[in-house]
Amino acid sequence: MSLFYFVAFLSILFSLLVIFTKNPVYSVLYLIATFFTFTIQYILLNAQFLAVVNFIVYMGAIMVLFLFVLMLMNLNKETEPVKSNLVKIIGVIAGGTLLVTLVGSIKALQTSAVSQLPNSNIGLVANLGRVLFSEFLLPFELSSLLLLSAMVGAVLLAKKDKRTQNG
Amino acid sequence: MNSLIVISILAIVVLYIGLFKAKNALLPVTIIGLIAALVLSIMEWNSGASPIYSGMMLFDNFAVAFSSLTIVSTILILLLSKNYFEKISENVAEYYTIILFALAGIIVMVSYHNMAMLFVGLEIMSVSLYILAGIKKRDFASNEAALKYFLMGAFSTGFLLFGIALIYGASHSFDLDVIKQYVIDRPTGIDPMFYVGIVLMIVGLSFKIGAAPFHFWTPDVYEGSPTLITAFMSTVVKTAGFAAFLRLFSVCFAPLAEDFWMPTLLVITILTLFVGNITALYQTNFKRMLAYSSISHAGYMLFAIVALGATSTNAVFIYAAAYSIASIIAFGILILVKEQTGGENFENFNGLGKKNPFLALMLTISMLSLAGIPLTAGFIGKFFMFSTALAQYHVWLIVFAIINAIIGVFYYFKVIVAMYFKEAERKELTSTSYYKLVLSISAIVTIILGVYPSLITDLF
Repeated sequence: MSLFYFVAFLSILFSLLVIFTKNPVYSVLYLIATFFTFTIQYILLNAQFLAVVNFIVYMGAIMVLFLFVLMLMNLNKETEPVKSNLVKIIGVIAGGTLLVTLVGSIKALQTSAVSQLPNSNIGLVANLGRVLFSEFLLPFELSSLLLLSAMVGAVLLAKKDKRTQNG
Repeated sequence: MNSLIVISILAIVVLYIGLFKAKNALLPVTIIGLIAALVLSIMEWNSGASPIYSGMMLFDNFAVAFSSLTIVSTILILLLSKNYFEKISENVAEYYTIILFALAGIIVMVSYHNMAMLFVGLEIMSVSLYILAGIKKRDFASNEAALKYFLMGAFSTGFLLFGIALIYGASHSFDLDVIKQYVIDRPTGIDPMFYVGIVLMIVGLSFKIGAAPFHFWTPDVYEGSPTLITAFMSTVVKTAGFAAFLRLFSVCFAPLAEDFWMPTLLVITILTLFVGNITALYQTNFKRMLAYSSISHAGYMLFAIVALGATSTNAVFIYAAAYSIASIIAFGILILVKEQTGGENFENFNGLGKKNPFLALMLTISMLSLAGIPLTAGFIGKFFMFSTALAQYHVWLIVFAIINAIIGVFYYFKVIVAMYFKEAERKELTSTSYYKLVLSISAIVTIILGVYPSLITDLF
């Protein structure tokens, strides 16, 4: 339980740092750290598959893409547009509405009994694989068509053409 | 199932033919393969199908009818592709392959019995179409079409997926029968999550069929894509989208129609009709006019889902068949006009009646059918749609629809007027025998269905 609190504390700390750092690159790096703490939480919850997917897709692919975009865009203080007062007022109103909603929902909050999963091992990779290769075999195989079509298309669109084209 | 396997393998075979540079074999092999798939599909008619592969697919008469219709339309469109792709680039085999992949996805979409299959089928079709929209790599409009279609399509897929997830959360299953049983077992007290799921699925599917508040991608994408691909999108893809829509709502959500989703869909239908028809009136570009008219036809086809009943399937099938065949004629002639005069506006059709009486006659038949004039298939389609809606006492819907049909007549006749009553100096258009074959077959089918509608009205 103490591990959970420690990781939860880290999640909140890193997400606050995401907002408060000035440099957007650091901001993205803290976001990656936040996602990493989520991955640990998933493992603690016995959800292997979610942990792996979160690690590979969110932390790996998407966040690296974010970093690349940020570096390519070359964000500086000089290029940042000046925010008008109108935007600030709109921001305050929107944020205030969110705050009211949150306070309202927290007031309605009550603790419920701990819900027990019928099968606590449901998030394990082995179970997922078993379902994928028995019940969901057909959609799994058909996804290969999807990937092949996307692959052929990507090569088709990216390949250099020898002729110029018209019509 | 057999036709799905044949089409998937055919796509890969065509890819290999391209690898070995046997360009002349591409079209014949594709057509023969598709005819084989068609025969295999028709052979499953009335075979008393039950869900196969642990309830993933169901090849009932609904699936057979719609997959046959889409395969026939694809064959007709591909016959028009002779010498078309060669002008765009050298990689002709890949184009055929991707069209075949899209068709495989469509077969899945019309025969799914599980939400996972619906999603996979829809994605196979959509991803293939994003690519096909952008195959003119150096054409700015084509690039724009592909990007717009991709962004909008990816967004709408998100809605659809979220809807599927919420419905799964409420009913604990992807299987259509289990979801149906969930709805039937709970006359009151369905999880609110389930309702949100239905709304999100309506949004996602309306995007795919181009119904009104979600239609903004349609005109630009249809105009920017190569004309042959536009023909494929507005006929085969639209038919498949409606088949998927109808299957989902008639199997799973039918008991909730009156209480929940019918009013939403009614508003979407009326909006679609008006937006499509009124905007089509103001177009000077024939291709863009066809794009808006396809939006309005989506509105007519939604009637069958709004007035869900025993005759809905039949009505959608007849309407989709009539609309597809007439559109193929229109797009085929548009390709000829665009290639040989360089423009696709109404004035490019001036004087066509004198120089090319055959083409002008074919286009006239197609326009009459799209407008819904009696003795053409389009009339029968509209008649069945309206009578389906009337059976459920949607009188106001019919009034709106008839106003729209009259607006429709006006802009469809614009092109007929241009062809026969406006003089212009022009050269005779040359057309290959493939074109003549496709155009005559389509026109004959349009007339025959208009005169003897009982050929396909008693199918279901």
